[in-house]
Amino acid sequence: PPQPPEAALPTIYAITPTYSRPVQKAELTRLANTFRQVARLHWILVEDAAARSELVRRFVAAAGLPCTHLHVPTPRRYKRPGLPRATEQRNAGLAWLRQRHQHLPPPQPGVLFFADDDNTYSLELFQEMRTTRKVSVWPVGLVGGRRYERPVVENGKVVGWYTGWRADRPFAIDMAGFAVSLQVILSHPKAVFKRRGSQPGMQESDFLKQITTVEELEPKANNCTKVLVWHTRTEKVNLANEPKYRLDTVNIEV
Amino acid sequence: NEELWVQSVLEMPKRRDILAIVLIVLPWTLLITVWHQSTIAPLLAVHKDDGGDSRRDLAAGLDSKEYCLSDRDIVEVVRTEYVYTRPPPWSDTLPTIHVITPTYSRPVQKAELTRLANTLLHVPNLHWILVEDSQRRTALITRLLRDTGLNYTHLNVETPRNYKLRGDMRDPRIPRGTMQRNLALRWLRETFNKNNSQPGIVYFADDDNTYSLELFEEMRSTRKVSVWPVAFVGGLRYESPRVNAAGKVYGWKTVFDPHRPFAIDMAGFAVNLRLILQRSQAYFKLRGVKGGYQESSLLRELVTLNDLEPKAANCTKILVWHTRTEKPVLVNEGKKGFTDPNVEI
Repeated sequence: PPQPPEAALPTIYAITPTYSRPVQKAELTRLANTFRQVARLHWILVEDAAARSELVRRFVAAAGLPCTHLHVPTPRRYKRPGLPRATEQRNAGLAWLRQRHQHLPPPQPGVLFFADDDNTYSLELFQEMRTTRKVSVWPVGLVGGRRYERPVVENGKVVGWYTGWRADRPFAIDMAGFAVSLQVILSHPKAVFKRRGSQPGMQESDFLKQITTVEELEPKANNCTKVLVWHTRTEKVNLANEPKYRLDTVNIEV
Repeated sequence: NEELWVQSVLEMPKRRDILAIVLIVLPWTLLITVWHQSTIAPLLAVHKDDGGDSRRDLAAGLDSKEYCLSDRDIVEVVRTEYVYTRPPPWSDTLPTIHVITPTYSRPVQKAELTRLANTLLHVPNLHWILVEDSQRRTALITRLLRDTGLNYTHLNVETPRNYKLRGDMRDPRIPRGTMQRNLALRWLRETFNKNNSQPGIVYFADDDNTYSLELFEEMRSTRKVSVWPVAFVGGLRYESPRVNAAGKVYGWKTVFDPHRPFAIDMAGFAVNLRLILQRSQAYFKLRGVKGGYQESSLLRELVTLNDLEPKAANCTKILVWHTRTEKPVLVNEGKKGFTDPNVEI
């Protein structure tokens, strides 16, 4: 179908928390290769770091798409297994968007979603989320211990959740399974991802509770029957042969 | 004295309060200042016509007064001259890059091929040869290839199963992907005439690796066989050819068996199509190949060490990463499967 002229397209904001580890640059590279195929996408990259790293700074400079480079370190007491990750980074992305639109009149329509740096996104997903009026949802592949999870849709409305884990959650959905219109984010300035009182696995639910209801959700991806995003995870690399001493004479970034 | 003492006691909490407030507020003001600074990205210097373009990017309805006020807050919206047609138009002057990708069915297959396609869609004059390890070409791959819009060839050949073990185990003596790569080489030789074919480069791209766009431009100038470093192989951050001052490859910077004829990963080299067509009997050895010697089994039929062309700034830059994807946890599918098998993942 013919695309509307670019000026009229709502901007898609992708909030990506990222952290330093060997595969970081590889993950960001292939993510950027996907994002660069999408018109009017603004990438908000938030490092889990006390300062902007050289690697990401250089990467952003050469990335070839609009990109905002933020950073905020996760407090050490929250870096335990089982605790939710990337909370501070996602909130920093939200804060930046709210700050940016503080002085402007009602902004150009925009949609934001949370794009973890190791997931896989099809180009069709962006077409689907761009028409989000408030909060849209869709299936996510390879998550919850099953091939996919998805919202259950009847007559164009979400009526339940097809999920591998705690279907009793108010919004039993993965971070990769929803998008929110910029308008909703700006009109709910206090909606953030919480640490206090938030159980593991409840991050998404606790966030969505603050901004929408199940009735309001807009099902995408053919009434939530197509998988357009996958919760892939990358193996930890084997660096067993890296020398402890007698390091190389050059410093090559991977 | 007592009065003075009481007075100072009353004052002390106040000073502490002020100190506390300052200590709380200061980091926030610093953080916000830093965030603001981050919005004036260095990209400003790189792209022309920024001022005008960023104004065009903002909603047409805003009047100029708002632009001035918000200029400091607005991040630089980089206006790349990007044309969102996929793939780029075919050029008559660029050699074609034939990317050979073996693939096999497993839960992450469609995801892997999707993100690989998203990368390949940027590369001009690219021809994707996708070879399934299957008895028949599957509907999933057929549809995926068609939907990408890429220039592709869809082949299949099934690696024989080892019936001595369980019926569905592949023969472990044949390294994964070998028959599929060889089929693609045969297809190239049957399709292109070595005397008057268009210039082309052949590259073996596994479906779970990560490729930068720069890599494809580096390999395009391959005359015989070009080589470059690969990250995350051989238990190292990267393996790399050793290049001397004259720009010749004289060895291999690896820990695992650096004395292999070509101690290089599948993702670390590309071959000129002409060479593939000329040495028409050169294939990957099917059986009896030691671990890590697959690449050597082909390359030794094509080229000597001396002929190798180092790319990626004399093999000092990483442009390809040997990433591997975790096997997804599907424990909740149970024995009979829980989700609808008709929903394709």
